[in-house]
Amino acid sequence: MQSLSIAATGMMAQQLNVEVISNNIANMSTSGFKRQRAEFQDLLYQNLRRVGTNSSDSGTIVPSGVQIGLGVKTGSVYRVMTQGDMNNTGNKLDLAVQGRGYFRVQMPSGTDAYTRAGNFQLSPTGQIVTSDGYTVAPGITIPPTATDITISNDGQVQATIPGQTAPQIVGQLELSSFQNEGGLDPQGDNLFLETAASGAPTTGNPASIGFGTIQQGFLETSNVNAVTEISDLITAQRAYEMNAKVITASDEMMSTTSNLK
Amino acid sequence: MENALLIGLSRQTAMMRQMAVIANNLANMNTTAYKSQNMLFDEYVMPNASEQSPDKQLSFVQDYGQMRNLADGELQTTGNPLDVAIAGSGMFKVQTPNGIRYTRNGHLQLDASGQLVTSNGYAVLTAAGTNLTFTSDEGQITIASDGTVTTDKGQRGKIALVDFANMQDMKSEGDNLASTTQAEQQVANPRMIQGSIEGSNVKPILEMTNMIDVMRSYESAQKLVDAADDMRRQAITQIGSAV
Repeated sequence: MQSLSIAATGMMAQQLNVEVISNNIANMSTSGFKRQRAEFQDLLYQNLRRVGTNSSDSGTIVPSGVQIGLGVKTGSVYRVMTQGDMNNTGNKLDLAVQGRGYFRVQMPSGTDAYTRAGNFQLSPTGQIVTSDGYTVAPGITIPPTATDITISNDGQVQATIPGQTAPQIVGQLELSSFQNEGGLDPQGDNLFLETAASGAPTTGNPASIGFGTIQQGFLETSNVNAVTEISDLITAQRAYEMNAKVITASDEMMSTTSNLK
Repeated sequence: MENALLIGLSRQTAMMRQMAVIANNLANMNTTAYKSQNMLFDEYVMPNASEQSPDKQLSFVQDYGQMRNLADGELQTTGNPLDVAIAGSGMFKVQTPNGIRYTRNGHLQLDASGQLVTSNGYAVLTAAGTNLTFTSDEGQITIASDGTVTTDKGQRGKIALVDFANMQDMKSEGDNLASTTQAEQQVANPRMIQGSIEGSNVKPILEMTNMIDVMRSYESAQKLVDAADDMRRQAITQIGSAV
């Protein structure tokens, strides 16, 4: 019975779908999180009667053959790269990227990781770091006496220092963009790594061509939409149940056969 | 001859295959742009065994073909700028290592070199038969309803949308791809919707009803086989004991 294994592929696909949806819902308030979507494709086909073959000597052809599909497979689980909402936190070191681009983070291992979550803090030495303490490239140190930090739309970091009338420019933030953002390798902790599929990063200043701008005092929330996720969850659950019914029905058919004396 | 057994068998074999088709439809309930399929049955009339045979014509069942339901699947809004759904007829043209293939799966993306590809990494072709490659400074990619692709650098090309005389005569290749030997035709009024994906057009209720129908028909065919078997057994025991 092919229908048994076909329905099994369907159940496995829907299970994965529910897993992806539950991860989206779990990350509804993760800053910079991009919702994922499972995309399914049909599996191989068995040709029982091939379309387009000759059905007689006079050249008539089979107009529609018999092709039995063997189920479904997961084509990809991709991230939907739409902009998340802007959440006003008022925190001086909360930065949101409006548009394209990732902050580059220097990992302790020496490699570079990329993130859209801009909830940054200061290290004991005054450096701008992520919430895990990793340096945000290119490594900007705020003087210990600074009373205020201003970060402009184009990523210039200025510190107000007592006794100086003009704010002092202490550094310039950079953004990195990728040809294929979907190809980035998620590492957890809101971090991504470059892969062969994503292409090499292009680095540039915020607000330059091809890069988004930086909003100080805001965090980019996740782009998960509760209504979409719940309705997808309902569809996935019902699809799972229906595939399970196919298994029951196929089983009954087989039992009918085995009751044959 | 005990033809009832063989007729019952032809029915059951056909039912098994239809069950596989229904199972495949249900498994692909969430597959992008999947078109549901249905088995077509035909009566196959056997000539009489001989002139004197008391049997009249015997009709067997045969599954001679399949119909694709070509109705549009429902539109799912994803908001992803490179998700493109086709409303109405037409298929995207895709360059694969095995030659040109066609698909209605509009989940497109850019690969590492900035080329517009399907989720399997095959290049999507334009009406001019070329690939589309973008650089990272082009900004937002906009796809108009006729397939014209525009970025900050202006018009970049037009995504091909082709149609065929007989859409039933398309060979499914898996991975949402189809192939054919028919000549391509340009779609007169192409309509693409950016930010959406075409869902599968499988109607779960219809499939479940069909499934129950197949299951019960299978059982009734089984009853026929059982009855034929009973008759044979009685013939052996009664005629045999009379001797």
